[in-house]
Amino acid sequence: MYLLMIDWWFILEKFLLVGFVVTFSLLIAMYTTYAERKIAAFLQDRRGPNRAGPFGILQPLADGGKLFFKEEIIPLASSKFLFVLGPSLAMLTAMLTSAVIPWSTPLQIGGRDVPLQIADLNIGILYVFGVVSLGVYGIMIGGWASNNKFSLLAAVRGASQMISYELSMGLALIALLMLTGSLQMSVIVQNQIVHGWHVIYQPLGFLIFFICALAECNRTPFDLPEAENELNFGYHQEYSSMKLGLYLFAEYVNMFISGTVMATLFFGGYDIPFVNEASWGLSPNLLAFIGFVVLLAKAFFFLFVFIWIRWTIPRFRYDQLMNLGWKKLIPLALVNMVATAIVMLLRNR
Amino acid sequence: MNALLLTAVFGVIMMLSSFLLTSKTAIRGLAVSGMVIVLAANVLEMMGIVFFKIDTKDMIAFDRFSLLFNSIVFISTLVYFLLSARDMEKVGINYGEYFALIFFVLCGVTLSSSFHSLLILFLGIEIISIPLYILTGSDKRNLKSNEASLKYFLLGAFSTGLMLMGIALIYGATGTFSTNGITTSPTSALVIAGMLLLMFSMAFKVSAAPFHFWTPDVYDGAPTVFTSFMATIVKVAAFIAFMRLFNDEFGSLQSRWQLLIALITAITLFIGNITAVFQQSVKRMLAYSSISQAGFMMMAIFAMNADAREGLLLYSAAYCLATIGIFAVLMKLKDYSFDGFNAFAKQQPLLAATTTIFLLSLAGIPLTAGFLSKFWMIKAVAGTGKYLWLVIFAVLMAVVSVYYYFRVIQAMYFKEGDGQTIEASLPFKWTLVLLAGIIVLLGVFPNWIIYWLYF
Amino acid sequence: MNITQILFWFLSALTVFSALMVVVSKNPVYSVLWLIFTFFCISGHYIMLNAQFLFIVNIIVYAGAIMVLFLFVIMLMNLNQSSEPKKHRWLRMAGVVAGGCLLLVLVAALKNIDIKKQVAETNTGDIGLIGNLGKVLFNQYVVPFEISSILFLSAMVGTVVIGKKE
Repeated sequence: MYLLMIDWWFILEKFLLVGFVVTFSLLIAMYTTYAERKIAAFLQDRRGPNRAGPFGILQPLADGGKLFFKEEIIPLASSKFLFVLGPSLAMLTAMLTSAVIPWSTPLQIGGRDVPLQIADLNIGILYVFGVVSLGVYGIMIGGWASNNKFSLLAAVRGASQMISYELSMGLALIALLMLTGSLQMSVIVQNQIVHGWHVIYQPLGFLIFFICALAECNRTPFDLPEAENELNFGYHQEYSSMKLGLYLFAEYVNMFISGTVMATLFFGGYDIPFVNEASWGLSPNLLAFIGFVVLLAKAFFFLFVFIWIRWTIPRFRYDQLMNLGWKKLIPLALVNMVATAIVMLLRNR
Repeated sequence: MNALLLTAVFGVIMMLSSFLLTSKTAIRGLAVSGMVIVLAANVLEMMGIVFFKIDTKDMIAFDRFSLLFNSIVFISTLVYFLLSARDMEKVGINYGEYFALIFFVLCGVTLSSSFHSLLILFLGIEIISIPLYILTGSDKRNLKSNEASLKYFLLGAFSTGLMLMGIALIYGATGTFSTNGITTSPTSALVIAGMLLLMFSMAFKVSAAPFHFWTPDVYDGAPTVFTSFMATIVKVAAFIAFMRLFNDEFGSLQSRWQLLIALITAITLFIGNITAVFQQSVKRMLAYSSISQAGFMMMAIFAMNADAREGLLLYSAAYCLATIGIFAVLMKLKDYSFDGFNAFAKQQPLLAATTTIFLLSLAGIPLTAGFLSKFWMIKAVAGTGKYLWLVIFAVLMAVVSVYYYFRVIQAMYFKEGDGQTIEASLPFKWTLVLLAGIIVLLGVFPNWIIYWLYF
Repeated sequence: MNITQILFWFLSALTVFSALMVVVSKNPVYSVLWLIFTFFCISGHYIMLNAQFLFIVNIIVYAGAIMVLFLFVIMLMNLNQSSEPKKHRWLRMAGVVAGGCLLLVLVAALKNIDIKKQVAETNTGDIGLIGNLGKVLFNQYVVPFEISSILFLSAMVGTVVIGKKE
């Protein structure tokens, strides 16, 4: 099946995988909203949503339906194209990151090894990093196109916050890269399967990365771009209907993806701890499924922590946020980097 | 190599000193002693003692020419520090950082005088430029300073873009960054396009007409103490880079670019001198005078023979020292117009006398270094045997320049006025006298510099 | 025409078009957005050369950081179409003529060079992969690499000088 010198099976495979990953992330994001509300209710000693379906399990569908049927309002004074572009970009960048995550060991279908990773780039981590740094455009464009000073302020806040925290995120990752000697996500996971999880070697690096991930996802305590008390819900103030939905949804997709990224980088990805699953003698497809479930479990744990933090810790003030980013996290990450380098140098000698 | 590393190290030391040392005198003392150490290390390298053995992969080549030039620059900077370091205090609170930035510039100067690879040329020029944008805008509350900084930055970035594009084209044509000369024949159009782009960007950096438009505004807007630095040391450094580039890389294409350089030289001489005549402010006059002096230095690029190399070194020394001296005196005045110099000789006879020597040197009056350096330039151009009209034109323009330099002398000695009261410490005066002495001595014994080039 | 060539021409056309739109757009925000788009197209070219590292660094540094700051400043200054300075018509004409001359010269220069005979390595060339790039950078080009640290340090010192409150 070669046309234009393209392996069409390969294309088909990738398309299916992309479709699966996208739908799956959306589904997870949907139910993260439900989880968020249930956990919030639990923490506040309430019941949470319980009307739509048993235990309120259909609540996300009801929310989605509501958002779809709301009236769509586009401010007259704004640029219509950019106004629509904003939420679309937010959703797009949230989804793009998932391209380099190794979801599990390869499947075997009809004699072909089908890797459960959309693209095993040579520069996997940097790709994640690049896409995350693009995430700010969704907020900025949306905030500006709203033609509203609160939205603009929120957009500017979001942009400076993301740029500030990207720095320490990158510095924390450099220490990790020194350990693995590769930026390829699959190699990073393999390295952890052989040598143990990176979180053991890089606890400080993980902590910094986790804090930065919170900031990059605009989650409490870093949700200043959508501070309701001073900015009227911030950058999505003028949005209604599904465009608002896209913004809200993108946040949950981001959470899920950053959970999987953290699991992949620091918690062994699809690796089951303490056991050598390859020696069980199971069929590769079943193993792949188990690996996938394990990765999901780790990601869900992070989602839970995200939600837990949101309903426990109050929001930072803006100067505190900047102080934390520039004066605490960056020096810490630098120290972590240098310390890792010294230890590695001494051990190699 | 000594100077390159030491300037960078002293840049870092000065940066740290700004918060470790509280006393401004201590910071100044540290900077001056750092300058002395850098100078000593560079002189040692000229004698063959190299502290650092680093394999530069043939990207940097320290030959006698570049080492000698570095020494000239370091001596000028030392003089500059001694005369004007005190005036930097008035600019702003970041006293230590100013010195740090100047040391970084010097690091860029050593690079651009000794590059053997286009990459190093680019880095050198950038390391020179970026601290200068900052120094230009360091008087933050002054709108003129801000405007000058932004203007300088935008035009500088633009010319750097031209340079990068030129380098890219040259790399595309030759497949290498090292400046071993264009050997391919016939010369591809890509090389010519790259060469032109590099020529224009270097002309920007040395403020040769018609790429000079930034110069008056930037020199006028910047704090005077930094104008003094960038009109002298930085400008001659850019000339050395220009010369090395066109000698090493494009030497074989001389017949192709000579006419263009001759035209640029003539236009620069014309615009610099004629516009300087009409200026009312001495600071602005000095800015245009720097353009006209650039015109004379362009003659070295044009000729590109042994005389030109000797002449450019001599010219660097003469021009730097004299201009630094004039600016040092100018900074003491409150009124920068020509009238500000009225009756200056009655009030400060010693300062007026030294200033007169500096001005005479810039105008190219015999018995000063300025005369001999101009003479060397004209000799170099005449030595090529072509374009004799350029020689005549240059002499003509030198005569024009006498007018505006003498206006200052006239104001100092022959005009009545209340005379500004200025304070000048005794060390300041003696340094100026020493400087004037050097200029006169160089005007009589130029071999003191040129000797080093060969032995 | 194989798929690489199709992609190449497509990307090139897109690059030129978006670069033109940067200049032509009236609203500065649109200009910046088109510029970001141009960077993406150029990144696409890097991918075609299998220079993955350059591709992603181009995106992280230019699209992800520098352009955000551009957008930041333009949004805060609230530049609109109305605040665009009116240029004299002759000035514009002069600009067009000068730019056109440069284009002419460059096209003439590129037209008859001998490089076009060499086919750039696309599928097998792996010089752009991060490992190989790092080796070249830290062996052959280590001197300029280290020297650039001075450049960045001076820029940082300068930023502090300009940015610090007095």
